[in-house]
Amino acid sequence: MIEFLVIGLTRGATYALVALGYTMVYGILGMINFAHGEIYMIGMFACVFAIGFLSTLLGPGTAALLVAVLLAVGLAAAYGYSNERIAYRHLRKAHLLAPLTSAIGLSIVLQNFIMLSVSKGKIDFPRHYSGPLIETTFQIGSTTITGLQIAILVVTLLVMGGLFYLIYRTRMGIAMRATSQDQRMASLVGIPVNRTIATTFVIGSALAGLAGVMIAMYQGVLRFDSGYSMGLKAFTAAILGGIGNIPGAVLGGLIIGLTEDATSHTIGSDWKDCTTFIILMLVLILRPRGLLGERVADKV
Amino acid sequence: MVVKRRLSLLTLLVAASLTTSCQKSESTTIKIGIAGVQTGSDGQIGSTMIFGSQIAIDEWNAKGGLLGKKIEPVVRDDEGKPNQAVAVAQEIVAKGAVAVIGHFNSGCTIPSSEIYRQNGLIQITPGSTNPQITERGFTNLFRVVGRDDQQGTVAAGFARERLKVSKIAILHNKTAYGQGLAEEVRKTFEANGGEVVLFSGISSEEMDFRANLSAIEKTGAEAVFWGGMYGQAAPLLTQLRDSGKNIPFISGDGTIVKEFLDTAGPKASNVFLTFGPDFKKLPAAQPFLEKYRAAHGEEGPYSIYGYDAANILFSAIEKAGTTDAVKVAEVLRATRFETCLGPVEFNDKGDLKQTNYVIWTVENGAFTILP
Repeated sequence: MIEFLVIGLTRGATYALVALGYTMVYGILGMINFAHGEIYMIGMFACVFAIGFLSTLLGPGTAALLVAVLLAVGLAAAYGYSNERIAYRHLRKAHLLAPLTSAIGLSIVLQNFIMLSVSKGKIDFPRHYSGPLIETTFQIGSTTITGLQIAILVVTLLVMGGLFYLIYRTRMGIAMRATSQDQRMASLVGIPVNRTIATTFVIGSALAGLAGVMIAMYQGVLRFDSGYSMGLKAFTAAILGGIGNIPGAVLGGLIIGLTEDATSHTIGSDWKDCTTFIILMLVLILRPRGLLGERVADKV
Repeated sequence: MVVKRRLSLLTLLVAASLTTSCQKSESTTIKIGIAGVQTGSDGQIGSTMIFGSQIAIDEWNAKGGLLGKKIEPVVRDDEGKPNQAVAVAQEIVAKGAVAVIGHFNSGCTIPSSEIYRQNGLIQITPGSTNPQITERGFTNLFRVVGRDDQQGTVAAGFARERLKVSKIAILHNKTAYGQGLAEEVRKTFEANGGEVVLFSGISSEEMDFRANLSAIEKTGAEAVFWGGMYGQAAPLLTQLRDSGKNIPFISGDGTIVKEFLDTAGPKASNVFLTFGPDFKKLPAAQPFLEKYRAAHGEEGPYSIYGYDAANILFSAIEKAGTTDAVKVAEVLRATRFETCLGPVEFNDKGDLKQTNYVIWTVENGAFTILP
């Protein structure tokens, strides 16, 4: 039972991290960022490259891994910033379909860029760095939990705590919430709307990059199209929890992770996607705005 | 409906114009389609197969070609996707090819073979093992590898008798090859008195198997069988070993690729795979292997099958004295071909008369035949 929870929560936590990016961008712009899955994939690749580079510079120790993770998250954030500048800023006042299409275009460009410039096959995450975390195990009753699973859960929890603090307790957070309510009004009271929106993209992308790094370590291999299925699952999680709602994205991610795991344990992993989407449909029929989504009347 | 009809008319016209434009060049060359997966997760194994066929074409061209004409390869990448395979097949037909060597994945060979049959092309697959391929009564279709029912029987028999496994867990990648092989293993394993405690499919993009592995652990399985390709086999095996289980890991010919060992590293122990004989030790294969290594580096497991398939096809065309599919097929059925892997004969279905699957294992970071 504990093992089942740990495996499901680990998956769910990474879904939640990526889902946060979807939901934050939707909350502030009312648009879906379809290039978000690719940012996650960029985070995976950036980390492996940074490790390769830093292991000669800093020696093959924990320092190299930590700096590489920071670099990967930073690069993912930079991609998120350029994503906003290229695919969204100029199209903010255009028809809703224009930024949607440009984001899908950007996602295809990024995926093909990695495929053509790096590798068409899979790349291994260096076992030297992920191995010690995986091989450190803890025994709880009859179940074994790896250090990496604990690390993923703890890091996700800390990062989410930080995000909630940022959004609900800081000036930046107030600016973000104000911009999401009314962009024009926010700019009238002196909030730098452009910078606030860019920050939202940067934060969401950094979270996706972090999720990418952790999953790359967890599953050991990465591919140029890894972002596709992750993006889809995380998007589903954001919808399930109520898109635009930040606790909702976390809840949605955890529900999907646990559902997938429960399905693999009971009726078999063939049915994994089926049960996930049945739950999504049921939720949407009963609560059209997602589990924690606000009613439309409140928003207007 | 009207739109659809117009569209199909348009494609017909385009196809017709393509074939007429090709017919001009047909007088000087014989076009041979080479199709298989070159990109995507199975790209490595498929590309090395195609290189093998291309070496055979170069050799025949150096000898003066086929029926006095040069052979012109039409190489296409099906990306390992069934729908792309159909598009590739239509393109090969439109280019005016008379025969095709391919495809690699069973899931690609099955739908594309319909198109080759309709258009009267001879097809020899160097890599597809799903039984269904030759069970449909196509007279133009041959393969130079064994079938998954043979492979599955060998694998299941080995697990049951030699490893003394009584409970096995089977995972597959939901493709024609992976699921087909997994079902054959299940059938034989149960017929031999064993128990299949878990039988599950995983989508072929999935790389995290911990949920499946913890489900397997609960069943008390004594071995794991993987019906799928090397790309997923490596993380699956690594995660299985990470969870502290050192039970036998059994798989088929889709896993016997160097990349599998690169990823799994020292975790690749207690691994058993079914595949053909060790071609590296066959004297007849040495000239080909030398040539291959000089041109493309280390060969893949299917390079030599790609080479043999091409040689068999060209010998049959040469013997028939024509590229007419019916006559070439008759020659293919009636002749005994000498290949790098030994003599080859086809039965009425287009399968090999004799196959010899053996068990391979991993020792000191390399694949070797189990003594």
